[in-house]
Parts: sequence; C-alpha cells; structure tokens
Amino acid sequence: MVPVIYNLRSLAVRKRTTGAAFFGIALVVFAISAVLMLKNGLQHAFGRSGSPENAIVMRQGSDAELTSGVQDAQVALVGARPEVARANGGSVFPGGSMAVGEIVVGLTLDKLGTSGFSNLTIRGTTPAAYALRPEIKIIEGRPAQPGTDEVVVGKAIRGRLQGVDLGQSFEITKGRKVTVVGVFDGGGSSFESEVWADIDVMRSAYHRQGSVSSVRVRLTSPDAFDAFKLGVEADKNIGLAVEREDIYYQKVSQNLGILITALGVLIAFFCAVGAMIGATITMYAAVAHRSREIGTLRALGFSRLSILSSFLLESMILALGGGLFGALLSLVMGLMKFSMINFATWSEIVIAFEPTPKILIIAIICGGVMGVIGGFFPAIRAARMSPLKAIRG
Amino acid sequence: MNMLTLAAKNVTRNRLRIVLTAFGVAISVLAYLLFRTILWSYSLGVEIAAKDRLATRHKLSFILWLPRHYAEDIKAHVPEVTAITTMNWFGGKDPKDESNMFANWAVDHQTLLTVYPELILSDEAKQRWLSDPQAAIVGEAGARKMGLKEGDNFSLMSPIYQGTWEFHLAGIYKVNTIGYDTTQMYFHYDYLNNKIPERIRDNIGMLMMKIDDPRKSAEVATAIDRLFEDRDKQTVTMSERQFFNGFMAMFGAIMSALDIASYVLLAIMALILGNTLAMGVRERTNEYGVLKALGFETRHILAFIVGEGFLTGLAGGLLGLLLAFPVLSAMGRFISDSMLAAMLPAVSMQTSTIITGLAVAVAVGALAAVLPAWGASRLKVTDALRRTE
Repeated sequence: MVPVIYNLRSLAVRKRTTGAAFFGIALVVFAISAVLMLKNGLQHAFGRSGSPENAIVMRQGSDAELTSGVQDAQVALVGARPEVARANGGSVFPGGSMAVGEIVVGLTLDKLGTSGFSNLTIRGTTPAAYALRPEIKIIEGRPAQPGTDEVVVGKAIRGRLQGVDLGQSFEITKGRKVTVVGVFDGGGSSFESEVWADIDVMRSAYHRQGSVSSVRVRLTSPDAFDAFKLGVEADKNIGLAVEREDIYYQKVSQNLGILITALGVLIAFFCAVGAMIGATITMYAAVAHRSREIGTLRALGFSRLSILSSFLLESMILALGGGLFGALLSLVMGLMKFSMINFATWSEIVIAFEPTPKILIIAIICGGVMGVIGGFFPAIRAARMSPLKAIRG
Repeated sequence: MNMLTLAAKNVTRNRLRIVLTAFGVAISVLAYLLFRTILWSYSLGVEIAAKDRLATRHKLSFILWLPRHYAEDIKAHVPEVTAITTMNWFGGKDPKDESNMFANWAVDHQTLLTVYPELILSDEAKQRWLSDPQAAIVGEAGARKMGLKEGDNFSLMSPIYQGTWEFHLAGIYKVNTIGYDTTQMYFHYDYLNNKIPERIRDNIGMLMMKIDDPRKSAEVATAIDRLFEDRDKQTVTMSERQFFNGFMAMFGAIMSALDIASYVLLAIMALILGNTLAMGVRERTNEYGVLKALGFETRHILAFIVGEGFLTGLAGGLLGLLLAFPVLSAMGRFISDSMLAAMLPAVSMQTSTIITGLAVAVAVGALAAVLPAWGASRLKVTDALRRTE
C-alpha cells in the first residue's frame, strides 16, 4: 500500500489542476445537496401538516379542500361517530368531539417582486383548529380575536403577497378587509403558507352558509381509521370520502415532488457528467506527470494493485474534499426559500431548503463516487505502466 | 508552418485529454442550450398570447366564479368588444388514466372559434361541434394521448362538478399558430350548466374577449372593470398576454432554478477548459522558452494559448450543438404531448440560442486561457528552458 501522505502531497503540488477539479466536484455536490434539501423541505412541509391520528373528510371526488364541500349537518354526524376522540371539559370543540369543519378559499393576490400573481390559501376556522394542531404557535403579534376580521398569517408566506404581512390588510370580498394581527409558526408544516381567518367571517364573505370545505377529526387512535372510514363512507347518498390526514398531504404534494425531482435529476446529471470529466482529465494528467514516480514505486516493489488503489484513493480524496466543500456551501441555501404554485391545490406554497446530516452525507458520497469513476481509467493506466519504461520517461 | 497550424497542432497533441475536454464542454453546452431553450419557450408562451384578446376574471380570485350574465352586460355596454366566450375550468380527468393531466374547459360553444381563430376545425367537425350538445373538441396532441378519433365517445371525471361526464368527440382541432397548445379540450357550457345543481348554475370562470383594436386594450379593460365596480362581484380585466404573464409568475421559481443552473454549468465548463489549458501550458513551458529564445514575442505565446482555448471551446461547442438537436427534439415531443405544452409551447432551438451557446463556449475557452497564458507570458526564457516537468 502506497502511503496516503504521498497522495496528499501530490495533490498539494498541483494546486491549479487540483483546484479546478475540486471546485467542479464542489459545484455538483452543491447542486445535488440543494435539490435533496428542497425535496426534503417539501416532504417535511406536507409531512408535518398531516398526522396519522387525524382524518380529513371531503366530498367524494374532490382531490383538494378547495373543490370540496360538506354540509353542516354532515359535519355534526361525522363528529358524533364513536371513532372520533372526545375533548376533555371546557373545550373549544362544540359537542365535545374533536372535529372541526373549515372553509378553504384561494385568493388571487399580487406576488411581490414579480409582475404576476398567485393564490393565497385562506382557511376559515375556529379556535378548535389550534387544539387539533398543537404545533401552531403565534410567534409575532397576537392571536386573532374569534368572530372578527382579524387573521393570522403563516411565517413562510408572510411578505410574499400583497398585503399579507403583520399589520397589513387585504380584501377578502368586496369592501371587506381583513387585518393581519399575528404571525404563526407551524413547525415547518404547509400551514405556514396559509392565512387563518374566522370561519363565520368566511361564511358571510363567500356565501357559504350551511357548508364547509372539509372536516378534520382527531381519531381515538390511528387504528380507528378503518372503522371511521367505513362508517362515514357507508352512506353513498351523502357522498363523503375519508382520508388519513398524512396521506392526503402526501397526495397533494406528489406532483410537485415529481417535478422537483425531475428538475433536480436533470440539473445534477449534467453537472455530474461535467465534473467527472474534469476529474478524469486531472487524474490522467497526474498519472502522465508522475510516470517516473510510478516507475520508481513499482521498482521499489509496490504491486500494480497498490498503484491502482493509490490513484483511486487520490482521486477519491480530491472528490471527497470538493464534496465536503460543496456540501458546506449548500448549507447557505438553508437561508433561502423556494416559492411556487402547488398545482394540486392551486395555491402558493413556500418550501425551505432543509438540510439533514443524511442529505449532506449522500451528496458527499455522490462526489466521492464521481471521483472514483473519474479516476478509474487513469488509475488503470498507472497500474499498467511498465516500471522500466516509466523510469526512463 | 504558420502560427495557426502550430496552435492547432498543440490542440491535438494530447488526444485523450482533448477528446475528454471537448466532451465536457459539449455536455455543458448541451445543457446550456437545453435550459435556455426551455426558458425561451417559457417566454414564448407570453409572446404568442394574443394582445387583441382580453381576459376577465373575478377580482378576488381566479378560482371564484362570475355570473354568466356579465357576458351580456359587456356586450351591451362595451362596443369595442367584438366577440365574447366564457370558460369554466372543468378539471376533468380520464377515469382510465388519472395521471394524464390536461386542460379541459366548458365554453360558450357559439363563440369559442370566433374568439380563438387559432383553432382550426374542418367544416363537418364544426357542424358537429355546434349542433351536438355533448360535443367536445380536442387538440391533436390531446387526442393522440387519449387515443381518440373523431366520432368516439369518452368520459371524464371532474373534482369540481361531481360525477362522470360523457362526451362525443366532434372534431380534433389543429392550430394555425406555431406553439399553440393542442392538448386542451373544450365542450359546451350549456351541457354542464343543465346538469349541475341549481345553486351553482349560471356561473362562469373567465370571460375571453376579442376587441376591435389591440391598441385600445388598456382602455377597454378599464371600461369593463368599471362596469362591474358597483356590483357584488367585481372583475379584473387584462390582455391575455398580461394574464398569461401573471399566471406564469407562479412557476417563476422553477424557471429561476433552471436559469441559475445554466450558469453553474458554464462555471463547470470554464473549470474543465481552464484545467486542460493550464496543464497543456505547463507541459510545454520548455517549448515556450525555445520559442522565446527563437525570437517569438510574448504576444505570440499569448496568441497560441488563447487560440488553443478558443479552438477547444469551439470544438466542444459544436459537438454539444450536434447532441442538442436529437435531445431537444425528443424533449419537444414529450412536452407538446403533456400539460406542459400550455406553459412551454414550441420547444425548438432558436438561432439566437445556438449563437449564444457557441459564443459562450468559445468565450469561456478564451477566458479560461487567460490565467495560464498570463503565467506563461511572465516566464523568463532561462527559467522556462530550465524547467523540466
């Protein structure tokens, strides 16, 4: 085995070529890591919105809350089912069962910083919603007064659309404005891309007396889901469909996830091919320059295999170094947000680039693998050199 | 042997390296052309959106409906509007293949073809479209994807309008504007309206209008919105182009990502090229010393190295261009058959994109040569000759 220090010194000697290959790999690992972070952010945003303990009830055939409608009478019936958890005393849940009907509307507002517009999700709800989703916390301003034209905004969407920030107001229907009095943290869930308003204000603004968009319930346990679904869907005339909350959010984020993955794969593929070629060129040059050294090593008794592994190792060290740098650089993306429409719900969703140790490790390993692939043929050439010819140069 | 042949000989001296470099440049140029073409196509969507067509939507949200009689009101009060059609997003999905997403609209069948002269139907198809209440028309790409031919019956499920809806395919439309989306489907609003519950009847999603003079579109738009200012449901009217532009802002983040990626790729290309050139220069330090000793001046040496970068960039650029044609035509076919067609019409490489791509490759090649060239030019003859590596 050729000592590793030999490889390190060799890399250090050729600063410029080493540097070029290093940055090439760094850029690729940066790209891979950023895409994985975005995908993770998306999954988390929707993953955190849904709990397996909760179920969502919508009209049969609706694929998102926006197009769904459930009569008030049915909300009561759904809430009365035995699988729905009971709230303990003095509760915000009417009738004591943990079920809440909500009205969801999409409002088209100007998207700040662009010449276009996008859709804001406004959720008309009651204080019960906060009990059902304990992760929601007001972090700035104050909670909205129930029954008034006050609303709170998720921290992700604030300031991205016209009038949607603390202290500002926007029109929800002709002549009726709501004022943003608070900002809430939703633990990274997609609720952070929503505005929450009072349900009765929404009812009157959008003429939705007697019906809501969807019903969320807390089940007595995740296992109660099947019985609950069977019970609610039994009456085909009412035409309701039940879904686990986490599955629902998985579904509405699916297409966006595919799009981001496709985009990421496309970008990463091209960058990776480019960087691998860069690494190959560097390593070929390293082999060519050092033919005398290789010959000497062989003459000293190092086997072909040790030469091969030494060069592979060198290329891998180079790539891992670049990868590490790229991965660290990609952490900067954590400060940025990706804001676009989710076509499953036709509303704006703000996704964070969320790093995890696993993502960084995967990205760095990808870099290392590129180094190995890039160094493979040069290493073979090095191993094949005849010591006699090599020393002669 | 003149200067140019010497530069060319230098380029081909290390064959393997030059092939790899050219290939690396080619991949970067290919990706650059690919991303730039997508971005161009995205902006083309805005370009082909008609200026002489206006779109009116609910002021608060394009998801909310407007009363159907708004069309009559506009016709009665805004004489500049020559034709109006209504459009309702149906959101229909093929029950056999739910993953096949395409745009489908319930429209005022009497006026659709007047407002959208881009849609071309045969006379018989037009006849069927007007007379059959369950008639639908689908664009060429849409029909191909659903495997439909004229006269076929098919059904769609809508998440907005409950139930399964049956349609008769009256015709497959072609378009007379390159890049116009042919995946969309249109059917009679009356068919929809007659079957839905009373309480949601007579609501429309959007009004699309043809006006007599595109230069007046801003004034006409204001006139329309003023008409409904005091009504319960106010409107926002803008030219189709503005509307499309605004709509596209929702996808802006994806396009920014592609935009940034295209520059990252250029950076990688510069690294590969610069690396190769730097290596070549270092190996030839000796020769540069000889050249200098023979009386060649620094500028000659500079010209050799920058010329080498230029040639390598050009070779890689041309190779990338060659690869881009089949890749882009495959991608274009894929996109024109999907719902993306509305966003990315006519994915085809523009001469300007090609020129920019090649120019960038050549420029990056020359630029990447600057650093090694600078190093070589500073060499003293004696040092250069002494160096053995």
